[in-house]
Amino acid sequence: MNREKDMANYAFVFFVFLSALLLLFPSTRVAQTARIIASYSLYPSLHYGAKYDYYIRNVPENFLNLLKTDQENRALKSKIKELEISVKTARAAEAENQRLTGEMGLSRNLAFRGVWARVINKNPLDWYGSFFINKGAKAGITLNATVIGFETARLGLIGRVFEVYPDFSKVLLITNGASSVIGSVPGANFEGLAEGRGTWLLKVNYIPEGSDIAEGMELITSPSGLLFPPGLPVGRVARVHPKESFMNFITADVAPAISINSLKEVYVIKRDLPADLYGLSEGVKK
Amino acid sequence: MIFIGDILLYVLTGLACWWWTANMSAFGVAPNIVFMAALSAAILARPAKAMAYGFFFGVYLDILGSNILGAYALTYTLMAYAVYVLKRHFDLIGVFSQIIAALTLSALTMLFYQGLSLIFAKINPLDLKAFLVEPFLNAALAPFVFYLFARLKKGFNIL
Repeated sequence: MNREKDMANYAFVFFVFLSALLLLFPSTRVAQTARIIASYSLYPSLHYGAKYDYYIRNVPENFLNLLKTDQENRALKSKIKELEISVKTARAAEAENQRLTGEMGLSRNLAFRGVWARVINKNPLDWYGSFFINKGAKAGITLNATVIGFETARLGLIGRVFEVYPDFSKVLLITNGASSVIGSVPGANFEGLAEGRGTWLLKVNYIPEGSDIAEGMELITSPSGLLFPPGLPVGRVARVHPKESFMNFITADVAPAISINSLKEVYVIKRDLPADLYGLSEGVKK
Repeated sequence: MIFIGDILLYVLTGLACWWWTANMSAFGVAPNIVFMAALSAAILARPAKAMAYGFFFGVYLDILGSNILGAYALTYTLMAYAVYVLKRHFDLIGVFSQIIAALTLSALTMLFYQGLSLIFAKINPLDLKAFLVEPFLNAALAPFVFYLFARLKKGFNIL
């Protein structure tokens, strides 16, 4: 206890002495050094205190701003999605507009009267066989009417009307296995029968041996065919097969002029067919 | 290593005092947290350490202020010694005795500091408003600071 009392007294005297020193000699080197050391010890803590005080004091406001920003962010994201959809829709509409403008321009130059129709149904199981269009008997569509399509400022034969209903019709494509077109090459003196095979290619048979057919040549509908008007592009020769030893004619693969895959609208030509062709489709169906 | 807790407590007390006076002052008056810390340390710590606390807390206030250097250091050292003497005769652990001690010692230290300022620098640093209000604020908050210091001593063996 006495030791503690002594310690207290010594400490008291020591600190009083130090304080008095600071008081009595405020401008002495010792006092100034003490003050500078103490200042450097304390100012960093005050600096960081001020820094974090700023953050702590602004926490509610920052949190509110964060919530507002989050809400704005969500709203803007939603708006961006809407705009992206709008842009895509607009692009699709623009592309369709360009395509239709091109098709309309081509159809005006056609020598045939006809009806525009939209492809309304394609059956995946019969992709190269047939499809439905949204025009029927009410629009003046008749059986075996020629159907043409347009693709990037060119037209081509698609097929013929196979079944007619009041408001829609079914089109038999030239790529259908039951379809065939008599075709010829402009400037050449031969004809061949382009037959569908249920794939994207046609096969041309009965080309006489020695004909000057070559890859890249355009095949058009022949004037000797009654079903289709003459001069319509059917496709281009993709490959010529050499003559088989047991046959006396050559064959060729023809890529259709119009791709069935990208077809959206077709033009159904109205023309007077020979009377005996009107019952052909029923005959085929049976 | 043993002084790290004390140094941390010293710095944190200084920061708390600075933050309170910077942000929580009402009509230019705020409780003197450093005074309450020095009082609590004087009650809880051994005499030599209590006086060291008093001295360094005083130095902190001297540094923080722009008045004469060493006035608060001397004042709080004397206060620590006074508490050392007092606690041999009075129980300063109770809340009521702490409030009375804080009220009395706060007023006395302010008077003493005022006297030192007048003698050594011929200035009058404390206004009447602070002199009338601050002792009561210190007395009201002293038990809370004491409780905190007591918990620190019990939990971390600081002081």
